[in-house]
Amino acid sequence: MNCFVALALTFAVGPALCADPAGWIPARWEGGPLELSRRANDKTEDASVRTTIGRWYDPATLDLLEGTPINCLLVTFSAGAESEVERKQHQLVKEYARLAHKRGISVLGIVYGGDPQAIAAAALDAGLDGLAVQGGVPEKLEAALRANGSTALVIPIARDAAAARTSKARLLAVEGVRPSARNLADEGIRAGASDEPWIDSNIWLVRSFRLEAAWRPIWIDQRPNPTSEGDYVRCVADAALAGGRWIVALDDELRASLLRKDPHALAAWRTIGTYLKFAEDHGEWRGFAPYGNLGIILDTAGENPDISDEYLNLVARRQVPYRLVSRCDLSAASLASFRAVLVVDLASPTEAERSVLRGFAENGGLLMAGPWWGDGAAKNEPYAELPLGKGRVAIYKEDPPNPEGVARDLLDLLEPEVMGLSVFNVPTAISYASTSDSGKRVLVQLLNYAGRPIERVTLRFNGIFKVARFYTPESPPMDLAPRPAANGRTEVLIPKLAAWGAVLLEQPN
Amino acid sequence: MEDNHRTFSRRDLLAVSGLSAGVLAARPAAADVAPPSSPLVSPVSVAKVTGYDVDLVAQLNKMFDQIGGIGQLVRGKTVAMKVNLTGSSGTGRHVGLSAGQTSWVHPNVVGALTAIFARMGAKRIRILESTFRKHYGSPLEDTLLNDGWDVQAIKSAAPVVEFEDTNGLGQAKQYSVLKVKSRPYIFPAFSVNHSYEDCDFFVSVGKMKNHEELGVTLSMKNLFGITPELLYGLLPKPPGASQWIRERVFHYGQVAPPAGVPQEIDPKSNRYEGWRMPRLLTDLCGARPIDLSILDGIETLIGGEGTGMPGTKHGKPGLLVVGRNCVCTDAVAMAAMGYNPRAGRHEAPFRLYKSPKDHPPEQLIPPEEWHQYADNTVLMGEGAGLGTADLSKIEISGARIKDVFYDYEAHWKGQAPV
Repeated sequence: MNCFVALALTFAVGPALCADPAGWIPARWEGGPLELSRRANDKTEDASVRTTIGRWYDPATLDLLEGTPINCLLVTFSAGAESEVERKQHQLVKEYARLAHKRGISVLGIVYGGDPQAIAAAALDAGLDGLAVQGGVPEKLEAALRANGSTALVIPIARDAAAARTSKARLLAVEGVRPSARNLADEGIRAGASDEPWIDSNIWLVRSFRLEAAWRPIWIDQRPNPTSEGDYVRCVADAALAGGRWIVALDDELRASLLRKDPHALAAWRTIGTYLKFAEDHGEWRGFAPYGNLGIILDTAGENPDISDEYLNLVARRQVPYRLVSRCDLSAASLASFRAVLVVDLASPTEAERSVLRGFAENGGLLMAGPWWGDGAAKNEPYAELPLGKGRVAIYKEDPPNPEGVARDLLDLLEPEVMGLSVFNVPTAISYASTSDSGKRVLVQLLNYAGRPIERVTLRFNGIFKVARFYTPESPPMDLAPRPAANGRTEVLIPKLAAWGAVLLEQPN
Repeated sequence: MEDNHRTFSRRDLLAVSGLSAGVLAARPAAADVAPPSSPLVSPVSVAKVTGYDVDLVAQLNKMFDQIGGIGQLVRGKTVAMKVNLTGSSGTGRHVGLSAGQTSWVHPNVVGALTAIFARMGAKRIRILESTFRKHYGSPLEDTLLNDGWDVQAIKSAAPVVEFEDTNGLGQAKQYSVLKVKSRPYIFPAFSVNHSYEDCDFFVSVGKMKNHEELGVTLSMKNLFGITPELLYGLLPKPPGASQWIRERVFHYGQVAPPAGVPQEIDPKSNRYEGWRMPRLLTDLCGARPIDLSILDGIETLIGGEGTGMPGTKHGKPGLLVVGRNCVCTDAVAMAAMGYNPRAGRHEAPFRLYKSPKDHPPEQLIPPEEWHQYADNTVLMGEGAGLGTADLSKIEISGARIKDVFYDYEAHWKGQAPV
């Protein structure tokens, strides 16, 4: 093709707008008069920050996105404020969205409140690609949009993960926690001599939405701590590790500094971009299936969703790989590939369910059940461990049992070979293992939540692997030296884990 | 709440009297007291060390020379090092720090000692600790990996280096019974892993730390870890007993050791841990005499023995203390930590804050009293005839204490509302 023709075509078409929400890489991009109005009672913001926010929809801010994978902006759109403020905001967003679209960037309006009909009409007028609903009733908004002939996506940002888990939406957004590690002792909490630092993480949360094999985007919405070194990259990695995406959210000071072209702010922004790019460059990993010989039965209609979630969170914290089985899928076939099953908080199990679980244990599995199991519940100890056929059952006394205790007990109840993955020297890290090609390729990802690197992390995994390669956002891939370990396992040493690292183990063909 | 520790109560008076009586009683009455393996008064070397990346082999060799040399004692022998790995899971950390920087002895210290003993001609070097695990059997090396130890490097530092988790039988078929050779306070003997008997030269490698219940933990306290949990925890937990197996038996005396294991001399004796533990530790040091004490205070934890204790802080005292006699060494170490090694109950560091949430109610004496006491372990050791805690009698070489001391108490003030 003639190069002039090719160039002309490029200009004519412009950057392709990513129409598929699965490809959206989102960032909160709040600003304008409505954002100032929304924050009117916030006395902590200084004048320069307010100026930055007020002028954020200057076209120049779109330049910040160059060189980053971010292609979806969440802009302030409706908050139920005075109509004149809302009108001005809509006009501003309309023009900004037009310019963003020219650059191939999708734009979603953030809705904090307001009249669904008016919002839908304004969104249509502004040409928005969707609405991210932080307040109000998403169903009414969606109905209003459709009534106006709009196909724009409505994305509720769920506060209640358990309720959102059953959603069939093609893109889910959920509020998460700020990823961090801290010493409980610093907060006056007395723990055992060897208790671990407390880690706030969203890795389990992203995983909890993967009840079906097919990948779909999960967005994690949370604000980082701007004063904590490395917080932004941890936010990116924490959501991405299990296949989610963090809705990038920059603090106001950083945004103001970026507009001033402050070198430190620009460096921080580049690092965020590097991590986002790393996640997208390895999009293939999202297709890997979660690994685990422990099955956790997730009752999406359970009586104590917070406690059910806490099992998922704390078991992940103890580096025990697991896979989820929805209660409605519970069957002998769905348990066949597991060696242990955690089902401590099953509400009113049916006879059929009991029979499946009993059969699992009788065939050699370990069943961890709540007091609903019946005979043999513990009296003085937290649980009683009883033989059952070729297997055993651990019956907890408490209903529901303490998630922290259950997670800790797993380390006693499961041999390392049953867990499959053993990770050493990761007190401030969480690991996530997944596989592809029928287990010939194993990916162990780790995220260090501390501000300082961890030296000498050792991994062991069931099976013989000849190739081990270590990937990080900061450096080119590095070959590790896998070596055989006892009981048919492979061991690799990671010399240093700064934040996000991934070891890809491969078996010979 | 009344702050009783600032007053001198009748209870204190009785305690001091008892202590004095203990000291007097400890004068070897000969026949029933066998001499410890190290001299009763022995030199102690103190050094200021800036970090774990210095040449610790050269540093420790120099300190061994200062205490009179140990080559003759090590050559051709099996050397066992009981290393202090508090908690022993390797997961107890302060964020961003290794356990070796806080509650465990640092691997570089252990590696340097291994290399030194190898050069001195040790036949076999064994590294020992009892780890917390319900299912015993994982190698001790795995626990060490949990703090990023380069186990292979330590193994290659000497021709024969072995690791053993002494929380159970280990490689043996039965436990060794070690009789308390000093004047026993609570137990006449202990059943322990064979490794503590099958060695010619026994080294206690401790961390210079505070301790929640005992004020300080040094080379004598390190020996609590030689008691095998899998033996002493055989009996089921009675209602109301501590969740910690060894605490049931040793700290609080809530449960007697299982049948076939040496029992307490007087099961009706005081059950208060501040009274029991210093005596128990002394008994342990009498049962398995320490031939060499090494104290790692280069970096450490201030305010408690483990990272889970509220208010604990990471500190860099930059101290190494080495001696042949554990009482002398611990006494000098206490001085280097800014404490009076002859301090009594309710004096620093033996005035303690105990939250009623974490301790059985009967341990708060009198009831509701949170400011508790512990007896001074080194004075108990002195009382039992294991050595002297009198600094005026101990030859201290290397650095002068006044030049290197690190005020632990000043840091510990934040640990408790005292």
